[in-house]
Amino acid sequence: MKESLMDILCDPLDKSELELEVDERDGEEIIEGRLVGTVTGEVYPIEDGIPNLLPPDMREE
Amino acid sequence: MDHDSDPRTDSATEADSDPRTDSTTEADSDPRTTYDRIASHFSKTREYPWPEIETFLDGASADDALDVGCGNGRHTELLADRATRAVGVDVSRGLLDEARARASARGFDAAFVQGDASALPVRGGRFDLALYVATLHHLRPRERRVRSLDELARALGPAGRALVSVWSVDHERFDATEGFDTTVDWTLPSGETVPRYYHIYDAAEFAADLESSALDVRESFVSSGNCFAVVRPD
Repeated sequence: MKESLMDILCDPLDKSELELEVDERDGEEIIEGRLVGTVTGEVYPIEDGIPNLLPPDMREE
Repeated sequence: MDHDSDPRTDSATEADSDPRTDSTTEADSDPRTTYDRIASHFSKTREYPWPEIETFLDGASADDALDVGCGNGRHTELLADRATRAVGVDVSRGLLDEARARASARGFDAAFVQGDASALPVRGGRFDLALYVATLHHLRPRERRVRSLDELARALGPAGRALVSVWSVDHERFDATEGFDTTVDWTLPSGETVPRYYHIYDAAEFAADLESSALDVRESFVSSGNCFAVVRPD
């Protein structure tokens, strides 16, 4: 995902802001990392460039 | 996530599996598991956009555009042509990988995000244009379907508009006249079948679900066995 996508993404649970933590990037493209809910504290992984913003209870199905 | 209710392209794959009373468990036929299993084969059968979508998008433009249940991205591509930024959301990572490959192969730029239609991970009031095509019918129960319509309403800006579609009892493969729950198998090339849950809608029920949500219906019609509605936020 592009870092600029942060301006429209939010926490699916309460629609609050997310904080981006980057492990690997390629220019503006975030390859690996995570999005962390600033209110909920939930951690949403970014894997191979795609953020997984499923609610946590749907993630392990 | 899917555009599998397209009667124009599905017959070869699905004709052998009539809808039947839902006897599988919820976990067996949940859309994420299902579409992760069939993503590659499914995507190959979903090459072309629907004409109804092209008509809806004719002349449209947007800053941000959203495709909820983007599947392999065939309609996200149309949004990308008309918007500064197109965002495709799908529950299935397998389908998102197909969508990204399609974007790369066909040279369009779109962002793809894994998410649930009833809990969209996008900020409110940001989208001028949205599609919610052939996806709502996979959600259960009804409360969750209505919640997803509320989420679409939340995502749209004040002047935003969206096209929503669901599989209809009007489709030739169904005999019922009232909406019902069912399972429709997807048959993989190996012969293995994968069940998918659907709520097949009748037009009145589709109107009632939209009415229960924070969306305002501007136009509705049935075409090629699907119910469509052009909507705006209330």
